[in-house]
Amino acid sequence: MTLRVLAVAAAALALAGPAAACAHPKTSLSYLEGQIMCPTCHTTLDMSEAPAAQQIKAQISKRIAQCWSAKQIEDELIGNFGQGILAAPPHKGFDLLAWWLPIGGVLAGGALLAAGVWRWSRTRVSDTEPDLDPETDRQIDELLARMD
Amino acid sequence: MTRSLKLTGQVLALVAVAGLLGLLVWRLTHQTHAPKIGAPAPNFTLRRIDGSGKLDLASLRGKPVVINFWASWCVPCKGEAKMLEQAWRQYKSEGVVFVGVDYHDVTSDARTFLTHHGITYPTVQDGSGMIGDRYGLTGVPETYFVDRSGRLVGTHIVGTITNQAKQFRSGIRAALHQ
Repeated sequence: MTLRVLAVAAAALALAGPAAACAHPKTSLSYLEGQIMCPTCHTTLDMSEAPAAQQIKAQISKRIAQCWSAKQIEDELIGNFGQGILAAPPHKGFDLLAWWLPIGGVLAGGALLAAGVWRWSRTRVSDTEPDLDPETDRQIDELLARMD
Repeated sequence: MTRSLKLTGQVLALVAVAGLLGLLVWRLTHQTHAPKIGAPAPNFTLRRIDGSGKLDLASLRGKPVVINFWASWCVPCKGEAKMLEQAWRQYKSEGVVFVGVDYHDVTSDARTFLTHHGITYPTVQDGSGMIGDRYGLTGVPETYFVDRSGRLVGTHIVGTITNQAKQFRSGIRAALHQ
């Protein structure tokens, strides 16, 4: 009888084990699939069915079930595959350039465009309303007064 | 004012073009090409996954070396594992060293693979694939032969050695006798 109770308890624990491993996962496979690259096909995991990608997905699922956070999983993968496993460069050190250069480029382009438009509009204004010297201005005024 | 603005713009444009040209030249000069037969085998110092510490290829200078690139997710690699282990046991008395290079792989899966297939020769991990790139790897498995002076010899095997047993043996012989 005792043996039977122990066997049932062991079976229940074995079945409950994986489910109770992580009641509230800290991240999801669908999120990480977009953040992690497939090392052999150079696309994100969600775009790849390659064997290496399948293996990494399985590893991520295993860690999620163990309640690992996205950061912990990413760190483990970086330790295993290097920084290149991340789809986006980290927001620190030299890698910050990858984030700021495009923004800087867009801002510089916008500034150049604005400067160009401003200069063009000023040229147009001066084309339509040329500055007259005082003598010509006076002669026109006289002519107009005579016409009146 | 306008003139200096224009000059600054031109200088900035020139700097940007020069920077892009520099990047192009850097990329072209740093492109990896597969090493030719007779060329020195690209050296590596990688973490061992069959034990602790690192393995430096240069430390094996003076011994013929067979380098096998593999991965646990690679189906053909499973097929050749047994033959590689048998060849290692056969040739180690002649001084030949086999080195497995685990390519783009999850460490725990790689270790399971080693245990499952009874691999006993030293195995290192190339997780980032940088060493594979230096060898001009096109996939896994691939096998290279290095002679006692550290030069690549024989014809490197693309695909499983089980399908190219003759080429595999002649590669080992080339590594032993050159």
